[in-house]
Amino acid sequence: MRTKTLSAVLAGCAFLAAGQASVADGGFVLGAAPKPAFLYFSSKKDGGWTQAFDEARPKIEAAIGVKIPFVENVAEDALQIRPAAEKFIQRGYNVIIGTAFGYSDTFKQLAEKYPKVAFLDGSGTVNAVNLQSFYGRTYESQYLCGMAAAAASKTGKLGFVAANPFGPVIWTVNAFEMGALKIRPDATTTVIYTGAWNDPVKERAAATALADQGIDAIGQHVDTPTPQIVAQERGIYGTGHHRDFREFAPKATVCSSVWTWDKYLAPALKTIKAGEWKTEPYGAFAGIKGGATDIACCGPAVSKPNVDKIMAERKAIIDGKHVYAGPLSDREGKERVAAGAVLADGDLWKMDWYVTGVITQK
Amino acid sequence: MRSLRRGRPVVAARRRMSAAFDAAVTTVAILAGLALSAFILVVAGVPAEELANEFIVNTLTDADNLRAVLAQAAPLAFVGVGAALAFRVRFWNLGLEGQMIAGSVAATAIALADVGPPVWRLFLMLVAAMAAGMAWALVPALLKLRLGVNEVISSLLLNYVALNFLLHLLYGSWKDPVDAFPHSPAFDPFERLPDLGWGLNAALPLVAAAAVFAAWLLGRSRAGFYMRFVHANPSVALAKGLPVAALVLTAVLLSGGYAALAGVCLSVGQEGRLTQAFFAGYGFSGILIAFLARNNALAAVVVAFLVAVLFVSGQSLQVFYQIPFAMVRLIEAIVIISAAASEFFLRYQVRWLR
Repeated sequence: MRTKTLSAVLAGCAFLAAGQASVADGGFVLGAAPKPAFLYFSSKKDGGWTQAFDEARPKIEAAIGVKIPFVENVAEDALQIRPAAEKFIQRGYNVIIGTAFGYSDTFKQLAEKYPKVAFLDGSGTVNAVNLQSFYGRTYESQYLCGMAAAAASKTGKLGFVAANPFGPVIWTVNAFEMGALKIRPDATTTVIYTGAWNDPVKERAAATALADQGIDAIGQHVDTPTPQIVAQERGIYGTGHHRDFREFAPKATVCSSVWTWDKYLAPALKTIKAGEWKTEPYGAFAGIKGGATDIACCGPAVSKPNVDKIMAERKAIIDGKHVYAGPLSDREGKERVAAGAVLADGDLWKMDWYVTGVITQK
Repeated sequence: MRSLRRGRPVVAARRRMSAAFDAAVTTVAILAGLALSAFILVVAGVPAEELANEFIVNTLTDADNLRAVLAQAAPLAFVGVGAALAFRVRFWNLGLEGQMIAGSVAATAIALADVGPPVWRLFLMLVAAMAAGMAWALVPALLKLRLGVNEVISSLLLNYVALNFLLHLLYGSWKDPVDAFPHSPAFDPFERLPDLGWGLNAALPLVAAAAVFAAWLLGRSRAGFYMRFVHANPSVALAKGLPVAALVLTAVLLSGGYAALAGVCLSVGQEGRLTQAFFAGYGFSGILIAFLARNNALAAVVVAFLVAVLFVSGQSLQVFYQIPFAMVRLIEAIVIISAAASEFFLRYQVRWLR
């Protein structure tokens, strides 16, 4: 069961504040040349989250000129994480890169125990002077995929298969609908939560139920390409998450929110090598501009004018446009972002509301 | 043709089985499995002279590795002894993970509600965990005893009920307010298993005491003797006037309680909070350990230690030789199948008939 997710955010937490203080004291200097190693949450060929890291790995190796070994299937269990990391450290590896939210507490302990080793944790929640959690602003890429889905849809009725309802998933759902509204003001997004990150059976049932309702474009934030495969079988469209799912459903998938971790990790490792690494106390949280996330777009079902619109929005986001800019109200009419303001990162992580047009189980 | 008639193998049931013979056959089988695995690893590119070094010397003499093995062995031993208790009365408790979850949920409830003074908190958490694990095991036990419902199905499916209840709590009222992530707030230091020094916590003495108690119960007590009778033939045991239902209930409830403590070793001992996946995979390991230990409590502790060695050294193979995880799984499977196959030589003897 995966839990991936993220970076930390919150002010008010004592150890975060302590981490911040020591960062201010002068950052972290690695004693030797960086020797990174990965701990993978699942199999390197999982088709999604972990495979995206494994596909970034050779690019990072080329960029920094060092081989990067890895261990697969390190579950979110301190008894597996600790020995895997310590074995690498004993053999001289000094940059340990984790890939799961559930590694956070153990990485925090390891970072204290090994102050000369740098730790990075994809979708972690804690930070320290030598520990950086990182994640991507997936609402940017999912916003663009929502545009593509609405452009491919004939009915304006969109669906979304998601894992579990909490901040980092809810922000992709809302962004998907907001992107769709940009193309079609009548677009709606019906969401089904499967309660699991990787459950092809439930994902198939959810996608089938959506298609049965006459929905003709299905977005997703789960780990397998099953919703896209169902979309292809039903002759409708969809958008992927983690990687370019045209690999599995070439006709159906019109856009995918993809990870581009080499663009974040290679520069980060170079900064560590240069001795200029300063961890961000609330986590590194990069969007399309910072190189964490991007889109693989667009399939032939998206018309040329709409492709141009999507690419123009992508450029606007890189140039500083915030998806969650005010004025913005939730579907109950409560104002969530004031005019002229943007949603703070802390509020993003705690998002528990939906924009108008999102239809959920409750 | 002639030479074939000179003799043929004959399989006959073994009349007597001794514990020493049992142990010897199992050991030889496990060694055979390891030899086969070693051969496969050498073919896969691990230098032969490094193998023994990696598996035995490095895992058992390096302090960090030994700590990792011991920490891993504690929950495995708990869940293994727990499985053995239920299997002793022919109750196939596949609900170990559900019982682990139920126990840790109860312990977390005590911690979050700040029940009792701090000095008693951990004790209350352990008691609550055992009670909840027993309650979770009671359901399939009663269904079997009263309605004849097959416990393989009912105990297994209750795992999913427990898992979904856990997720309901973690995505709902127990979500950590500090980071809004799906895990419970962290426990206070006095709500965690205390450190005994050298990086080990109180899980080890706890599991040692629990295993000795289970060994006494199964091996020395009158109840244990009766349980063996139930295992051999429940209907005859009933006809002879043994309290079969009470014996089954005792063993199954203890099994659930032990599974709950395995969960506690992980959530309260290691993670320091309730997480989404702390139990994952342990139910299967527990069944395996009980099976390899032939439902003997002390043997289950030894097997749990060996399985922990296998886990930790399996990780070494990945780290240092980039052996794929699938290969590590393959080795684990070979060792287990070898031990399982040795059962044949325990029950039967093969003689060459001239």
